[in-house]
Amino acid sequence: MDGAERRARFEAMAPGLVEPLRRYLARRTDPATADDVLSETLLVCWRRLDEVPEEPLPWAYAVARHAVANAERSARRQRRVAAKVATLDPPARTTTDPTGGQDPAGDVPLDEALAALRPDEAELLRLWAWEQLGPSEIATVLDLTPNAVSIRLHRARQKLREELRKIEAAAGHEGSRGRSRS
Amino acid sequence: MSGPDESFDDHPRLRDRLRAADPAASLAPADPDRVARLLEATMSSTDDTTGPDAGGTTRRSSSGWIAAAATVLVGGGIAFAVMTAGGDDADTPTAGGTDAPVVTTLAAPAAQTARCMVPNAEALAGQEVAFLGTVEELGDDTVLLSVDEQYAGAEADQVRVESPAEQMELLVGAVDFRDGEQYLVSATGGAVTVCGFSGPATGELQSLYAEAFGG
Repeated sequence: MDGAERRARFEAMAPGLVEPLRRYLARRTDPATADDVLSETLLVCWRRLDEVPEEPLPWAYAVARHAVANAERSARRQRRVAAKVATLDPPARTTTDPTGGQDPAGDVPLDEALAALRPDEAELLRLWAWEQLGPSEIATVLDLTPNAVSIRLHRARQKLREELRKIEAAAGHEGSRGRSRS
Repeated sequence: MSGPDESFDDHPRLRDRLRAADPAASLAPADPDRVARLLEATMSSTDDTTGPDAGGTTRRSSSGWIAAAATVLVGGGIAFAVMTAGGDDADTPTAGGTDAPVVTTLAAPAAQTARCMVPNAEALAGQEVAFLGTVEELGDDTVLLSVDEQYAGAEADQVRVESPAEQMELLVGAVDFRDGEQYLVSATGGAVTVCGFSGPATGELQSLYAEAFGG
């Protein structure tokens, strides 16, 4: 590919990546990191344009996933150093609540149920429900086989349902006690 | 993205409940002008395959760092001669009170182009200062790194690289300094050594440092 061809391919591909990547990042990290990782992800897509597959989005999610992990490692390291070095400003949190606490009516039982799952299980469910990816696409993002994704997704859904049942059963008891007193 | 996939469509209630809790649901679309600028900045960024671009191009739009690639003389340039003291730790310059971090000050190499030698462990081992550090601050004329591991030179908590903005720009471009990232940095004569002797703490450079300083 010569320079003009590269540009043409990138210009045709990249605009379709920006919004899904922004959403992916808004779901997983703070706004400043999201901005940085978006730039970085696009830069990787540009530099490695020859490797970008026909369906670029799952590949781009995989790049973003690694970049977020790196950003959080750096932030953890900075916090460790900051603990030693008194002159530094207090570090910012790496992962803030993406809703910014503006969603008091959020689905608390669901949040609790997701938090009760292993991180990799919760991430499978997010990719399935939020990014709306199929098993083969999730496989690209997580570097697994589609078969493994299908099996793990099945288990993760079962576990989420179980956790929800437990949490809602507990909340239901409290709720009925509350009502019977009033 | 979904496609006719049983595992996607088979559990609509659970999926819908998750979708309703999507934290990005209220995210407004990006400003199209900003996206256009971002894509343009991406395509005009320098990279290893296109080589040095003396005109300067935006590497990271968010931080606004200009990355003009540079090839600079090994060990040449400005000698601030800060690391000549023989002591192991007490002689480190700009050490403040007992609680203040010990800071070593270095300079960017002189911005003259010259022949580079191939990086090798022997030459690296001869560097007066070598350390693994994380970029804490990037300024126009300063890069502040916290020292994670010191391989050569006086022990310090931090290393501050100070130079006029023009030279610093070349150094930042050559080493690809980015806030929060980890780097292997060496220096001689008070000036950071480039030409492949300093850079992001990854693969080949890590091996080179391990060979030079015994891992």
